[in-house]
Amino acid sequence: MAVSEDAQTEIIVAEQVTHFESGNEMAATAAAQINYHIMGYFPITPSTEVAQYLDQMKANGLHDIQLIAADGEHGSAGICYGAAMAGARVINATSSQGFLYMLEQLPTQSGTRFPMVLNLVTRAVSGPLDIRGDHSDLYYGLNTGWVILTASTPQAVYDMNIMALKIAEHSEVRLPVIVAYDGFFTSHQKRKVQYFKENEVVQNFVGPNPNPNYPNVSDPAHPVTIGAHMGGDDLLNNHYQLSVALEKAGEVYAEVAREYAALSGREHKVLDLYRMDDAEVAVFLLNSAGESAKDTVDALRAKGIRAGLVRPNLIRPFPAEQLRQALKNVKALLVGERADSYGAQGGNLTHEIRSALQVDPDNKTIILSRIFGLGGKDFYADDAEAFFQLAMDAAAKGYAEKPFDYHGYYPGDAKDALVPVMEPLHGDAYKSGLIEVTPSEDTGLLKVKLPPLRQLTAKPHRLAPGHGACPGCGALSALELFFKGIEGDMVVLFQTGCAYVVTASYPYSSHNQTFVHNLFQNGAATLAGMVDAFYELKRRGEVQISDDITFVMVSGDGGMDIGMGATVGAALRNHKMIILEYDNEGYMNTGSQLSYSTPMGHMTSTSGVGKAQKGKKGHHKDTAQILAACNIPYVFTGAESNPQDLLQKAAKAQWYANNVGTAYGKLLCACPLNWKTSDHSGYDLVKAAVDSCFFPLYEIEQGITSITYNPELKGKRIPAVEWLKGMGKTKHLLKDEELLQNFEAEIERRWSRLKLKNESSLL
Amino acid sequence: MSTLPKKNALGFYEIRLESIGGLGANLAGKMLAETGAIELGFNASNFSSYGSEKKGTPIKTFVRFCDPEVEIRDHSPIEEPHLVAVFHEALYKTVNVVSGLQPDGVVLVNTSRGFDEVRADLKLEYGTVALVDAMGIAVEEQTKVNTSMLGAMFRICDFLDPEAMRKVIRRTFEKKYPHLVEPNIRTFDRGYNEVKFKTYEVPAGTQAVPFKRAQSLLGYETQVPGGVILAQGNSIQKDLSGSRSGVLPVLDVDSCISCAACDNVCPDNCFVWEEGEDKRGRPQQILLGIDYHYCKGCLKCIEVCPTEALTSIREEVGFAEEHRVPQVFK
Repeated sequence: MAVSEDAQTEIIVAEQVTHFESGNEMAATAAAQINYHIMGYFPITPSTEVAQYLDQMKANGLHDIQLIAADGEHGSAGICYGAAMAGARVINATSSQGFLYMLEQLPTQSGTRFPMVLNLVTRAVSGPLDIRGDHSDLYYGLNTGWVILTASTPQAVYDMNIMALKIAEHSEVRLPVIVAYDGFFTSHQKRKVQYFKENEVVQNFVGPNPNPNYPNVSDPAHPVTIGAHMGGDDLLNNHYQLSVALEKAGEVYAEVAREYAALSGREHKVLDLYRMDDAEVAVFLLNSAGESAKDTVDALRAKGIRAGLVRPNLIRPFPAEQLRQALKNVKALLVGERADSYGAQGGNLTHEIRSALQVDPDNKTIILSRIFGLGGKDFYADDAEAFFQLAMDAAAKGYAEKPFDYHGYYPGDAKDALVPVMEPLHGDAYKSGLIEVTPSEDTGLLKVKLPPLRQLTAKPHRLAPGHGACPGCGALSALELFFKGIEGDMVVLFQTGCAYVVTASYPYSSHNQTFVHNLFQNGAATLAGMVDAFYELKRRGEVQISDDITFVMVSGDGGMDIGMGATVGAALRNHKMIILEYDNEGYMNTGSQLSYSTPMGHMTSTSGVGKAQKGKKGHHKDTAQILAACNIPYVFTGAESNPQDLLQKAAKAQWYANNVGTAYGKLLCACPLNWKTSDHSGYDLVKAAVDSCFFPLYEIEQGITSITYNPELKGKRIPAVEWLKGMGKTKHLLKDEELLQNFEAEIERRWSRLKLKNESSLL
Repeated sequence: MSTLPKKNALGFYEIRLESIGGLGANLAGKMLAETGAIELGFNASNFSSYGSEKKGTPIKTFVRFCDPEVEIRDHSPIEEPHLVAVFHEALYKTVNVVSGLQPDGVVLVNTSRGFDEVRADLKLEYGTVALVDAMGIAVEEQTKVNTSMLGAMFRICDFLDPEAMRKVIRRTFEKKYPHLVEPNIRTFDRGYNEVKFKTYEVPAGTQAVPFKRAQSLLGYETQVPGGVILAQGNSIQKDLSGSRSGVLPVLDVDSCISCAACDNVCPDNCFVWEEGEDKRGRPQQILLGIDYHYCKGCLKCIEVCPTEALTSIREEVGFAEEHRVPQVFK
C-alpha cells in the first residue's frame, strides 16, 4: 500500500477547497479561474469535455471566456493564434488527430512568439483509429518549439494549467505552452483534488496580462507587421532566439514551480524522482503510467531490490542535466514509451535520454526501450514488474540482450482468425429491377418509377445487423432506407462519426459491401480519388466491372463542418459520386456538441442553457444551398418520414452519380439520446420537423428547384413548437417568446425563399 | 470515520458496476465515490470503461476506496473486486460480470428473480449474492434504477453512511427539481432496505478460481495487415439482446398487412421477410417476424405500424429466444 510521504509540509498560504473531479474538469476550472479571453476549440475525444465544462460554467455566468466553436482544429488553432496576436490570453484543448490537424499552426505561433496554453489530452493517432490514450500525438509536438509540461494526475492538470500561463508569458520565454495529460486515465478518472477557493489567488499568481506590452495588433498607435517571410540568415537567427527562449523556459519552470509550491503546498519538480536516491535499476515513464509504477517500486523495494522511478514533469525543454544527475549511479534504465518512432529502434524519449547521458563520459547506464500501452492498452502492475525485470537482467549481465522491443504483443491463434460469415452478394443480387429511372425527353429531368416499398424488402440489406448504434438511432434507419433506392454495387466511405463508429468496430464490420473510413475532414477528397482511380483503371481495361457501381460518401453534420472544404472541392470538380449527409444536429459521436447545423437555441453540451446563455447562438447551416451553389447536377433533402420521396431521390442521385457528376443529399435524422427524447419517437420528430417546414423536402435538379413535399398544400403544416415540444433539448425554447419568434421567423424566411425558387426555374 | 472491511494489497476496497449505457451506472459510481471521498473522508477514484460506447452497449464503472492517507496511483481497471453490482440482468448472457470476484465478495443483481436462478445464470460457485428489484422500485417511485441500486450498494458497503448519500441526493435535486427529492430519497431507502442476501459457502478445499485477463482474439500473426476486415457483415454474429432495457415489440402476424412501414424505420434490420403470394396468387413479400437477436427494443416500429400488428410488452426471461424469427443471411 502506498502511503504518501508527506510532501505537504510547507505552510499553505492560500485557502483551497477539496473536490472529487477529473483532469478535464480541473483544466476547465483553472481556465475559468484565470478567466482567459478566448478559447477557439473543436470537439475531439477525450479533450472535448474541457470545452463542455467551460460552456456549462459560462451558461451559469461563472467566467467570461469567449468560447468559439471552430470549423475544425486547423480553424481552432487559427482562432487561438489570431487572438494571441491581439494580445489576448488564450486557451485551447485538443487530442490526437485534432492536434495533428492543427500542427501546421504550432511552429508558426512559437516562431512568431505568441504565448498561449494548449491542453493536449493525449490519445492514439490514427490509423487505424483508436480513441484511447497513448503518446503518439504528443510526440508530434516535440519539434514545434512549444514548451511541454506533462501532468500525471488531475491535481497536476490544475496546477500546471496555472503554472503554464505564467511560464508562457514570462519575459524571457514568450512561447506557447502545452500541458499534456493522459486521455481517459487522467482526463476522465475522478480523484480527490484541491483548488483555490478564490479566483483572485489564481489571478494574482499569474499576474496581470503582460501581452499589451509586447507587439500586438490591438494598438493602432503602434502598428506592427507580424509574419514577414525571411531568408536563411534571418530564419536561423530567429530560430536561435527561439531555442534560447525554450532553454530558458526550463529555468523559469523550476522558479514557477517553487513559487507555486509556496502558494499551494504542491511542488511539481522538473523530474519526479521516486526512490531514486540509491536506485540501481529504474524505469522512466511519462504521466499516468509513471504514477502507477510507483506501487511496483514499493513492492520491489520491500523485496530488497533497489528500484526507482523517473517521471518528468517537463519534456520541452528536455531536462537533460537533471537526468544525468538522476541516472549517475543507475545500472540499467528501461524507458517505457507509449509511442514509437518507427524504425528508430526506440521511441523519441529513449534517444533523447541516450543523448543526454552520452554527454557524461562517466555514465555507464544501460538503456532499454519498450513500446507499450498503445491505444489505451492498460498498464498493470505486472507490466511494470516486467519492465523492472528487464532492467534487472540487463544490470546483472552488464548489457541489454534486447535493447528495443514492443511489450504486450502476441501472435494470436490461427483458429481465431476472422473467416467470412457469409458468401458476399454483389451485382445482380442488389438489383431489384423494380426501380426505373428515365430522363424525360422534353426537360431532361429524371422520372423515377418505384414499386411499393414492401417489394423492396426482398433486396438484401447494405448494412448488416449487429452494429452498435443506440436504440432508435435515426441515422442508421435513414441510411439503410436510402440504400434501398440504390441498385447494383456500392462502395461507401463513411467519414468519422456515429455511423462509422457503430458499424466498423474491429474486428467486426456491419457492412455487407465494400466500406472504407477516412478522417472526417477529408472523406470527400478521398472518395474523389477513389472514384476517379476506378474509372481510370476501367478506362485502361485493368478492371472489368460493370459501369453502375455507385460511390457514396456518408458523413454526419459534424463531418460537413470540418470537411466542408473537401466537400466543396469535390463538388466543384464534379466527381461521379453521392455525398450523403445524415444531419442529427450535432456532434453526437463525441457527446452532443454543437455543430453549425444545430438550430438556434437548441441545447447541446457546448451550447448550454443557463442564466447567461440560451442554447446555440445563430441559425442552422443551410448545407443544401451551399452545395447547390457549387452547381452540381443534383441536390436534395430527405427524411425517413417520407420514404417514397427519399427513395425517388436515392434513385435520381444514383443516376446522376453514375452518369453526370456529384449528387448531394441531406437527411434529417433523429438522435433520441441527444435530442433528449424517448427511443421510439425519432420518426414522429423528423416528420414534425418536415411538416413545420423547418426541414422542407426538396430537390435541385440541374439547377431547378422543386419542393417534393409541401405540407401547406396538403393541409399538414404545423407550427414549429409542435416539433420542439417533443425534445428535451428545446424545452426551454417553449417558454422563451423572443427566441421562439426568432426561430420561427428564420424557418419562414427560408421556406418563403424556397417557394419562390420552386416557382421559378431561374432562381 | 469508519474503516474499510476488506482491502487488497494496495489498500483498496474495490467495486465494479456492470451495466449498459443509459441506465445511469456511470452517475451512480460517481455519486458513490464522491460521497465516500467528500462526505466520509475516504480517498477514492472513479472511472468507467471508455470506448465508443453508445446507449445500450455494455459498460463498466469502477470505484476504489482507501484510507485517506493512502495515495491512489493505480489507473488500471478493477479486475478482482470486492463488490460487483449488475445493473442489467440480461448482461450476463454476453459478459462475464462476476469475473475476478473475490471469494468473499458480494455480487448485487438488479432482478425480480430468486437466488438460485440468478446464481445458476451467473455460474457462481460461492460467495454472497444480493438481490434487489431495482427496476421494480424505480417504476413504482417513477425514479431511476441507479438510485435504488445505490441504496443497495450502500447497504453492502456498510462502511459508508447512508445519511451522507441522502444529503447528496437532496443537494442534487433540491434546487432545480425539488419535487424529485422525496421520491429519490424513498427510492434510495427502498434499495437499502429491500436488498436480500444469500451466502453460498465455499466448499472445503476449494481453490479460488485464478483470475485470467481477457485479451482480443487476433494477434500480429492473425490480423490482416492494416486492420482490414475480410469478413464483411460479420457483426451478425453479435447478440444485441442485452441492449434492450426491459421492453420489446411483438408481432401479431394475423393483423399484419406487410406494408413494410416497420422495416423502413428499423435501425437494426430486425424484420424478417419471406417471398409468398398475395390473395390473387401473385408473388409478394410477407413479414414473418422479428429477429430479437438484433432488436434493441426502441419500439420505433410500433409507432409507425398502421394496424395493431405491432405492440410492446415487458420482456420476460426466455420470451425473445422462444419467439425469435432468425434472419436468413444468404
